[in-house]
Amino acid sequence: MTAAELIESGKLEMYLCGALPAEEIAEVEEAIETYPEVKKETERIEESLIELAEKVAPTLSAMVWSYILNSINKVKTLGDSESKSTNWGAITGWAAAILCIGGIMWMLNQNNNLNKSVELTNIENSELKENLNEAETSLAANEEVLEILRSREYQTFTLPGNQAVAPDAFAKVYLNNNDGIAYIDVKGLPEAPRGKVYQVWSLVMEPLTPSSMGLVEAQNEVASGIYKFTDFPKAEAFGITLEPEGGSETPTLTQLYILGQVKTL
Amino acid sequence: MEQPNALILEMQAGNEKAFSKIYSMYSEAIYGIIYSIVLDESAAEEVLQDVFVKIWNNSASYNINKGRFFTWILNIARNSAIDETRSKSFKNSRKNLSTSNFVDIISSSDSLNTKTNSIGIKKFVEALKPKCIKILDLLYFKGFTQAEASKTLDIPLGTLKTRNRNCINELRAMVLG
Repeated sequence: MTAAELIESGKLEMYLCGALPAEEIAEVEEAIETYPEVKKETERIEESLIELAEKVAPTLSAMVWSYILNSINKVKTLGDSESKSTNWGAITGWAAAILCIGGIMWMLNQNNNLNKSVELTNIENSELKENLNEAETSLAANEEVLEILRSREYQTFTLPGNQAVAPDAFAKVYLNNNDGIAYIDVKGLPEAPRGKVYQVWSLVMEPLTPSSMGLVEAQNEVASGIYKFTDFPKAEAFGITLEPEGGSETPTLTQLYILGQVKTL
Repeated sequence: MEQPNALILEMQAGNEKAFSKIYSMYSEAIYGIIYSIVLDESAAEEVLQDVFVKIWNNSASYNINKGRFFTWILNIARNSAIDETRSKSFKNSRKNLSTSNFVDIISSSDSLNTKTNSIGIKKFVEALKPKCIKILDLLYFKGFTQAEASKTLDIPLGTLKTRNRNCINELRAMVLG
């Protein structure tokens, strides 16, 4: 079919209307590519068809185009996220946010720990303060006792252990016989067994008369291991016996631990 | 009119500006085709939107070396418009639709495009031979194949082709001057 024949055949019009069967389309398209006059004719027919269709169209709203733009941008965005391209900006942002949150959590945790340790330290501090107070109190008491024992009015005696009961025991007595005050250091005595207590006696030799001075117990303790006794008759000797709790009226001689004379000036 | 191949290639490469130029070149004609099928402005606008979104999304399937771009989008438009007339919502809203062709539309239209001589085009289309109106309506606006049109109009295929050409020639003389 020549170019002129094709133009006259009406196939171009059919082709442009989209009414040509598939098997004839290739032939027409080839002719359009090959013959400039066929192409020209095709363009003219198309133009008149476009003009006709435009006459049929009512006024077109400008909103249509903005809707189309919106749709294709949405589709484009969806397409991007489906593709495997990596959005480094977003990833960096999220990573920074996660790091930031992690950091804050860590700091909160640290802060919490610090608060706890401050609390512990405070408790320790108050315990230490109490200990210090106790130590100071006890030091003051010791100093006071030491001051007394060093003074001119007091004499020191070491009372030996009773060979039969406690050969290694001893006790020290700091005695103010004029005022009737004695401090007895029992560090050299074994610890009293349960249910038993040491009792201190002042002795007058002729006739041998024991008088109870008191018990070696907490209420008489003035410093660690030193017990104060007052209001006893002028003593020539001291004895310490182990007695049942509460003490006894007379000394139990089988349990005499300490016995020693004192010579006052 | 020469086909804007450069614009089409740019559109295929994803250039929205080129696409917007193509829209302004073809949207009115495509809208006219769609409107002649659905006969409702808002429905036609919706179909038009869908058609151009399809053109954008499927632009890669068109080849500038094979076939006319207008014919390609004309097919998309008619198919979409026909799909719309078959949709349930469309059928429900427009049960008593009178059959209209492009001449009826132009004749009854008050809001014809001001850039053309609307009185002139009205005169012309009303002067088109009734058989031309029928042929153009089926082949161009309604998307019948030549075989379907030949059968519907009960005229031999050869005669149909010749008549279609003569009718379009009349149209050319009128619209292109």
